[in-house]
Amino acid sequence: MTNTAISTRASSTRGALDWRVIRSRLGKVLLYAFLVAGCLGTLVPFMWMILGSFKSSTEIIRIPPTFFPEDPTLENYQTVLNDPHVPLGRYYLNSLIVAVSVVVLTLFTSSLAGFIFAKYQFFGKSIVFGLILSTMMIPFQVLMIPSYLILARLKLIDSLWGLIVPVAVDAFGIFMMKQFIEGLPSELMDAGRIDGASEWGIYWRIILPQLGAPMATLGILTFMFRWNNYLWPLVVITTNERRTLPIMLTWYSGMQYQSYDLTMAVSVLVVVPVLIVYAMFQRWIVQGFALSGFK
Amino acid sequence: MRALVKMAQGRRRRARAGSSRGQSLFVGSALTPLMLYMMFWTLLPIIWAVLLAFFKYSPKNKGGLFLGLGGGNPFIGLGHFRNMLGDSLEAQKFRTSLKTTLMFAFLVLPLNLAITIPLAVAIEAVRSRIKNVFRFIYFLPTVTSSVGVALIWGYLYHPQRGLFNMVLKAIGLPSQIWLSNPRAFYFGIPLALWAVIFTYLWQDMGYNLVIFIAALQGIPRDFKEAAVVDGANVWQVFWRVTVPLLRPTLLFVCVMTMLSSFQVFDVIQVMTENGRPQDQTRVMVLDIYLNAFRFQRMGWAGAESIILFLIVLVVTIVQLRLLRTQWEY
Repeated sequence: MTNTAISTRASSTRGALDWRVIRSRLGKVLLYAFLVAGCLGTLVPFMWMILGSFKSSTEIIRIPPTFFPEDPTLENYQTVLNDPHVPLGRYYLNSLIVAVSVVVLTLFTSSLAGFIFAKYQFFGKSIVFGLILSTMMIPFQVLMIPSYLILARLKLIDSLWGLIVPVAVDAFGIFMMKQFIEGLPSELMDAGRIDGASEWGIYWRIILPQLGAPMATLGILTFMFRWNNYLWPLVVITTNERRTLPIMLTWYSGMQYQSYDLTMAVSVLVVVPVLIVYAMFQRWIVQGFALSGFK
Repeated sequence: MRALVKMAQGRRRRARAGSSRGQSLFVGSALTPLMLYMMFWTLLPIIWAVLLAFFKYSPKNKGGLFLGLGGGNPFIGLGHFRNMLGDSLEAQKFRTSLKTTLMFAFLVLPLNLAITIPLAVAIEAVRSRIKNVFRFIYFLPTVTSSVGVALIWGYLYHPQRGLFNMVLKAIGLPSQIWLSNPRAFYFGIPLALWAVIFTYLWQDMGYNLVIFIAALQGIPRDFKEAAVVDGANVWQVFWRVTVPLLRPTLLFVCVMTMLSSFQVFDVIQVMTENGRPQDQTRVMVLDIYLNAFRFQRMGWAGAESIILFLIVLVVTIVQLRLLRTQWEY
């Protein structure tokens, strides 16, 4: 902004071919070249996957390899979708069941606990909240082994419940909701009490409708995190019909060892729906990630 | 009129008194189950994990009544930790994994910052329409399933069919066996480790990029303009104005990037099939996973996970000390 202002002023006094103008133009070209090169680096692996999924089984093993498929074919998708050992619909459903259940449970428990920590005074509140925050510091890998042993005792190994139950209450979600609800005016609650609402009624009818924005952010983040989660389902699930998409993907690629045509077709089927969801909710997702420190 | 006011006051007082009882009932009845549930799935596992580290525990053995500890799973005190210093095979594997994890984390952090900070500054410098397009594209890998990422990159790295060797050959360089040549080292780091680091960076960088863009937007424009008026050039503005003001963000990003790279698992487990070649990419979480769930040595794996936790804790505290700064500007 300022640079252009200065350079236009300079150019008007010293003629059009001012050194500063050239330099700022050159700077701009370099800037865009840098950004576009970065974009190419980001996009080429996706293109390699998509193009690979349309190559025939003979073309994909050709040496040297081709970049664009010479005669694109849908054969790989047909093979994958018609394979009776690979019930893709089932895997999608499993992933969806797990992710949606965790989102619903997390939103409910986080908003309720966040509301209580934000708006009520009770004995030991700051200690309990401090404890909740400190659990966020502990790597999941520390909890992984005992959680598995607990699930084994509850007979929830190799079931989708095992992927849902341990993560139904989320420390980060409680923290995020508390931060937001603290900003809501307490007069709202007083007004509700005067009108005779119970505390549950206040939560349900007054607080909850105000939480659209943070719920959307937390919901989308939780959904993507659970949808893409790999290590925990890998530990818990053993039966083929109960696999979620990420563990199905490694299992399938292991089975079709180095048949990249089929592997890439399945990868496209797993990766692309998430990218479409991302494109639809881009603003929420990006802001949410930036706000949260959620990884 | 007065009666009405009195009535209203009475009602309000009654509402308060009633609600104070109602409030504690609400807090008790709603929060207690939630907190108990949370304790069951976090506090109990933490205590259990610490206990496991002192037992030679395997779920195959018949143990005592309390959490299956004791009996066939005997108490061995600090045995696992002492064993980590010895020369048993699993101790050697553990130490390899520790070294690999440290190399991984300490390479990922500077490389990540060296890519994301200039990119964020560049994106901040373009018009807002295009800015959003760039941000959208750069964030794509971050929302992609890490298993998908690992499979795509495994294909890119394939010695004969991969894109990278195709490009290397086209520009006249020798092709590489990226993921399975144990004798290839660059700057003292195994090539396979470089390969997984590049993949990890590609996927992880969008996250830090978005944080830096948000932080750059928060820097008041006047500061830069004042520096320009005082005769500073672009580089001086960047190093003397932007970077110091980014320090709080930098601290946060450093801590988060370190934490997550110490916990790397997905990409490596899928790309290198459990740490090949010759355990050159065997990181700690992979070692913990294999010990606990493949070899059923859960006591040993528990002790390893405690070490991982302590390292993460120390690294975080050191970073907080090193980069401590006054937060307001």
